[in-house]
Amino acid sequence: MTSIDVNELIKDYGATRAVDRLTFSVRPGRVTGFLGPNGAGKSTTMRLVLGLDRPTGGTATIGGRVYAALNDPLRRVGVLLDAQAAHGSRTARDHLLTLATSNGLGRARVEEVLEEAGLGRVGGRRVKTFSLGMRQRLGIAAALLGDPEVIMLDEPSNGLDPEGIIWVRELMKRLAREGRTVLVSSHLMNETSSFADHLIVLGQGRLLIDMPMQEFLDSRSRPRVRVRVTKTDSPRFSEALTRKGLRAEHGQDGFWTVEAARAAEIGTLAAAEGIPVLQLIDEQTTLEQAYLDLTVGAAEFESASDTRTTRQEA
Amino acid sequence: MTAAAVLRSEWIKIRSLRSVAGSLTAVFLATMAVTVLSFATVGQAEADNADADLVFGAFYALNFGQIAAISFGATAISSEYVNGALRLSLAAVPRRTLFYTVKMSLIGGTALAVGLVTSFSSFLVGQLFMGDYAIGLGEPGALRAAVGSGIYLALMTLLAAGLTVLLRSAVAVLSLLIPFILIVSFVVGDVAGGVADYLPDRAGQLVLHQYPDSSIGPWTGLAVTAAWAGAALLAGWWALRRRDA
Repeated sequence: MTSIDVNELIKDYGATRAVDRLTFSVRPGRVTGFLGPNGAGKSTTMRLVLGLDRPTGGTATIGGRVYAALNDPLRRVGVLLDAQAAHGSRTARDHLLTLATSNGLGRARVEEVLEEAGLGRVGGRRVKTFSLGMRQRLGIAAALLGDPEVIMLDEPSNGLDPEGIIWVRELMKRLAREGRTVLVSSHLMNETSSFADHLIVLGQGRLLIDMPMQEFLDSRSRPRVRVRVTKTDSPRFSEALTRKGLRAEHGQDGFWTVEAARAAEIGTLAAAEGIPVLQLIDEQTTLEQAYLDLTVGAAEFESASDTRTTRQEA
Repeated sequence: MTAAAVLRSEWIKIRSLRSVAGSLTAVFLATMAVTVLSFATVGQAEADNADADLVFGAFYALNFGQIAAISFGATAISSEYVNGALRLSLAAVPRRTLFYTVKMSLIGGTALAVGLVTSFSSFLVGQLFMGDYAIGLGEPGALRAAVGSGIYLALMTLLAAGLTVLLRSAVAVLSLLIPFILIVSFVVGDVAGGVADYLPDRAGQLVLHQYPDSSIGPWTGLAVTAAWAGAALLAGWWALRRRDA
């Protein structure tokens, strides 16, 4: 069982604190979505975990050891930081081979991950001829090279076509099912909600949320019902709602949106009034809504109080 | 993780980039091309001068080979500083001192091998055009100059490589070193006398003279160049270890 453990992690760049006393664990067997606005410290945290940047304070370990102490680290941890990191003049195959060879992995493994990433036929092409989506696939192929227990991907769906996005999503779910530890940063909420089981949300380098996704959605959702009745019943339905003290709006699409109510409640009410219900839906808060709801406070705070230039995320 | 595995990986990096492998090949090709061109045309006329140093003259083309050697050292390193490539390299090999030592050993080693082949080839081929003025490796100082010239090329390569880690850009290093070698050292060298013998290129090239006219000997001169290269390598090592990648 290998988890990523971040403890009281701090990183300052000059006067700017990019990561602020961050503590969290990324557990195996599930996909952990790593969210936060640009400059929140996601990439910095990943670099600190990999020992690429030196922390100002605190520790980051993988399976209890610092990354630099891992022998043949690519066999333990697979990582995609920046799809542009592959040199444009190198072929995809040679790029992977440089990484594989240093960690004692052979040519056969390079061919396997090229195939897995759907690059089997273009392995001999120079990376500069690749689209962003193909580079992204190459970056993910590099992360898979060592068949690692821990996988960290920074914005893996960047530039991918719809087919590629589905591939990445299924890949991450499979890796988690196999018991691996999967940490995926993203700024695409709907995308993240399609694969993440657990969420870690940063704002200005601080930990805002560390909880299962469903729990996060539930904690942020205000119950709301969308309901449709016939046009002739509409005035009667509106009256019935008002009598119950419920606030409702009639939309262009013919649906009533009832705030602070559940479908069961509205259904019962309509039945009691003898109003046939055509459609009745409990509205689930989307991750995007919940996230924006959470970060809008942080963002306002940021624009009001922090006029210092923050380091651009690389 | 073994040094041998890292060495194999670094070798793939060198041979899989045209600009890097090309610079290395150019050390040999440029030197040989200039050797043939110059010796076939003005070789004997130059040697006819009363104060001509036939050994030093034999290594004339080295001036061009060293530009390629510097380019090799700079581009082999600078490819790591394009788009965060170094981060991926250090994720694969997080022990930075191991990474650096192996990389520099390989760059220095290949430059030395190519440098020695180049200097001997250039010497032997050049002499084919020299007719009555031709000298052999038995000529006093000739063998020392041929070996020294290969070492010199390797040291200039490492000087450039170390500086490139420090400055993180081949362009910066090339626009620093090449004008220095072509102009500054040339001008200062003629004016300043003794001090100029301690410039990295002037000092190292003392080894090419049959009878060096200097306060320091030919091997000491090469050692001075080695000290410059060593300083650049140390600075690069310090920078790589200390900096965030």
